[in-house]
Amino acid sequence: MTTTGIGAEVLERLHAILGEDDAVLTGRSSRFNRARVPAPFPVHRWEEFIPDVVVLPRTAEQVSQIVKLANEYKIPVVPRAGGTGLADGAVPMKGGIVVDIKRMDQIKEIDLVNNTVTVGPGINMQTLNRSLKKHGVIYPDDPASYACALVGGRIGTSGLSLLGARYGHTRDLVISFEIVTPTGEIIEVGDGGGRKIRKSSTGYHLKHLFMGHQGTLGIVTEATLELVPRAEAEFAAFFLFEDYETAYQTFSVIAKSGLATLGGVMMFDPEKVEYLRRDDEAYIIQPDWVKAVCAASLFGTKAEVEVGAQKVMELGRSLGGRYIGDEIAAGDWAARHDRYANPLHGRDKDGKVVPMSWHCEDAAIPYSEVPEVLRKWHEIAQRYVERYDIFDDWGAFQYTNGAHKPWGDVLVEIDMGLWEDRMDEESWQAFVSLKREIAQVAIDHGGSMSSCHGATRAGDAELVPTEMGASWEVMKTIKRALDPHNIMNPGKQSLDEAYEEVAP
Amino acid sequence: MSNTHEHDEATPPTTVDLGTPQILGEVEQAFVEKWHENATGCFSSGHKFCREVCPVTQVTRNENHTPTAFHANVIALEKGHLTVEDVADDYVHCTQCGGCEVRCPNTLMVGDFYRARTETVKVVRAMRAMLVDKGLDREGWKVWNRLTNELKNEPVLGVEGDQPNGQAQVRDWAEGLDIPIGGDTIMFVDCEAAYYRTSIPRATAQILQLAGYEFGLMNEQWCCGGPAAEMGYVEQSMRFARHNVDDWRKSGVKRIIAIEPHDYVHFTEDYPAYFGDDFDFEVVQIIDLVAELIRDGRLKLTKPIDRVVTYHDPCRLNKRKGIHEAPREILRAIPGLTFKDVDRVTQWSYCSGGGGGLPIEKPEITAEISRRRLEKAAELEVDTLVSACVWSERPLTAAGDEAGIDVKDIIELVAESAGIEIGGRTRP
Repeated sequence: MTTTGIGAEVLERLHAILGEDDAVLTGRSSRFNRARVPAPFPVHRWEEFIPDVVVLPRTAEQVSQIVKLANEYKIPVVPRAGGTGLADGAVPMKGGIVVDIKRMDQIKEIDLVNNTVTVGPGINMQTLNRSLKKHGVIYPDDPASYACALVGGRIGTSGLSLLGARYGHTRDLVISFEIVTPTGEIIEVGDGGGRKIRKSSTGYHLKHLFMGHQGTLGIVTEATLELVPRAEAEFAAFFLFEDYETAYQTFSVIAKSGLATLGGVMMFDPEKVEYLRRDDEAYIIQPDWVKAVCAASLFGTKAEVEVGAQKVMELGRSLGGRYIGDEIAAGDWAARHDRYANPLHGRDKDGKVVPMSWHCEDAAIPYSEVPEVLRKWHEIAQRYVERYDIFDDWGAFQYTNGAHKPWGDVLVEIDMGLWEDRMDEESWQAFVSLKREIAQVAIDHGGSMSSCHGATRAGDAELVPTEMGASWEVMKTIKRALDPHNIMNPGKQSLDEAYEEVAP
Repeated sequence: MSNTHEHDEATPPTTVDLGTPQILGEVEQAFVEKWHENATGCFSSGHKFCREVCPVTQVTRNENHTPTAFHANVIALEKGHLTVEDVADDYVHCTQCGGCEVRCPNTLMVGDFYRARTETVKVVRAMRAMLVDKGLDREGWKVWNRLTNELKNEPVLGVEGDQPNGQAQVRDWAEGLDIPIGGDTIMFVDCEAAYYRTSIPRATAQILQLAGYEFGLMNEQWCCGGPAAEMGYVEQSMRFARHNVDDWRKSGVKRIIAIEPHDYVHFTEDYPAYFGDDFDFEVVQIIDLVAELIRDGRLKLTKPIDRVVTYHDPCRLNKRKGIHEAPREILRAIPGLTFKDVDRVTQWSYCSGGGGGLPIEKPEITAEISRRRLEKAAELEVDTLVSACVWSERPLTAAGDEAGIDVKDIIELVAESAGIEIGGRTRP
């Protein structure tokens, strides 16, 4: 894997397809800069994840021809949008062609009659919403990476929106899209019918199949998205608790309130509060008695939100929670995107401040199982912290998981600091094994190891067959049927297994 | 523009061995040691909030040109995966606007507390300095800085043939204005203003004269040296700075009025870095000064200006130096003006593309950045885009001609409203 496997002939044909001098990149910096994503990375093995060539297409037709060429030569193809994912979806495992779709960033149509916007997959949500502002509408897909994630990557990962309880997540907000299949066909998938149809009973629901596949089933080249009226009013309240248990019950009370304007309910566990107190300079320190935080947000018309806010204040305090105050509440809510990038440092075993990368697990867990899962997770984390001096437990937070249905399962994230600078092969393997243990707990408790990032990387990928159970066979059959040569993002989610079995 | 060192992307890389890291030379070693921690702050979080505000990346959509890559390359150099030559062309793609630095969550969330700021502009400059050191500097920049060295001013009227922009013409813009040489306070006139858009220094001088604010000009004004520093020609930049400081000392100057944001950055950041405590001059930005003169009633704006305008926050004022209130105060004080404002944070992602030597090496990218800036202005249905940076005004004016929107300098509008016949020219 240290030398490129692509010859002059393929490069020549790529140049012919792309037709622009700067759209086929083989320089070293072009390739090294498309080997990783923000997730912890085995820096000592950087060169293993280098693509052979990077292409920057502008049209679906070009993407289709690239994929067909890759099939002809059996070259791996890895789609890359923002490269901001946390599960290595865009990391090339076997070299090949990285199809970087950032140049497909046009707004093609704003339809204010049918409330849709049609875009290229390379556009960012914040950029899109700036253009939509004057029309009084918004595309409300709001991950922590709102300022940098691109629509194509959101579809590829089937991401979670922090406003999902109110507006839905990516899969609810993307009405339909155009995708180039692993064999190079350009198809349109939705719920059925035309690209602006939100509900249909005709045929299979292919939209869901071609979403969240982490680039293993094709490359999105255009998407038609939901336009929602811009909320007239927004409200966020944070409540402080002396213990986890009461905060956890309050989380549920608010989530089950039936408030239709609820954007989401969130909470920090005691380890998270402790971490914020210890190492997050921007966090406004709360008194020592504070061990857990629960927060809720509302979006809607002024009339709805005013009444809803009263209800949230009442429920938030109903079990003894104390309101944090208007100023901090508004500030903490507004910082929801930037805070995700913040934890830059943690502590070694002696309490010394060291620069650390951020790793987070993103399991979906039934509400009833959350306390036990968290207990086990922190126990696992502690074991690794003690054994390897490159980890730090940064606590966990919870978020309502279901689109429009905040009352059941919960997105539970445990954040870990990882001292990347000190990482060697042994500690990298320890990290992978830590991930695997954490994922296994999620599965054991009837959860899913990934609510939003994807089960694509080492540690998770091996457990995909376990989590899928008997349907794993169906998944492999689909993959084989759609991608006969295993060229689409090979090496991910254990899907290479689909090909081992058919060998004669 | 020919470029001898650009790596050839068309060459098949079949023989490249990615598995054997290179050994670092002394210069690279010093570079990675200096920037390791700063780069790690980005590399280890790597969230790329900067990408969508970066004016160059908005146009090229190439990850090589992102601030994130500029930091990742430091780590890759350190590990021996990349060489300076591998990344030379990448670091040309930057206007040094500083948008990435203010948008960086590390700056936003931690900066207030530790005054920490992710440094990207300095990394780009340090890398460019390394390119010069190694003879890998770009052809266009080489010519530009050679001519600057010969003329003592930038060849803003063109790099070919004899152009009237040397020392002999450095004060031509001031014809008929009767400005003394020397004094407590001098007005430093940027090369682009002195030779290209002479309406700006003329407007500035006459405003100050009208307000009874005393100032003079330098004996022998050389280029401030800022552009050379931005393109990596550090020795030249320091030599020019030394000349200017000596000239100020000779006339007993205490205060410098910077009429241009790039100079202001250079005088307040680079000169103190070059001279340490010896640099004891007060540096005043013209926008702050004019706002104060209006506020104090020393400058009366009486002539209505019948224009519908929006304001372009020059990157070096807004993103680099946090000056965004004063220009708005000035615009609101001009009678007759309809001012459609776009807030300064939204403008973190706006730029003209005119800075950091980009127009010399990549004029097509500069032009596209300016075209997009005018597109934003056009959405507001204005007839005029007002800037406060002469370097932005050339590419913006070209884009404005296409969009049917005038580009004016804020000082030109002030002078007009104060009843001054400016004279000079806004284009050759």
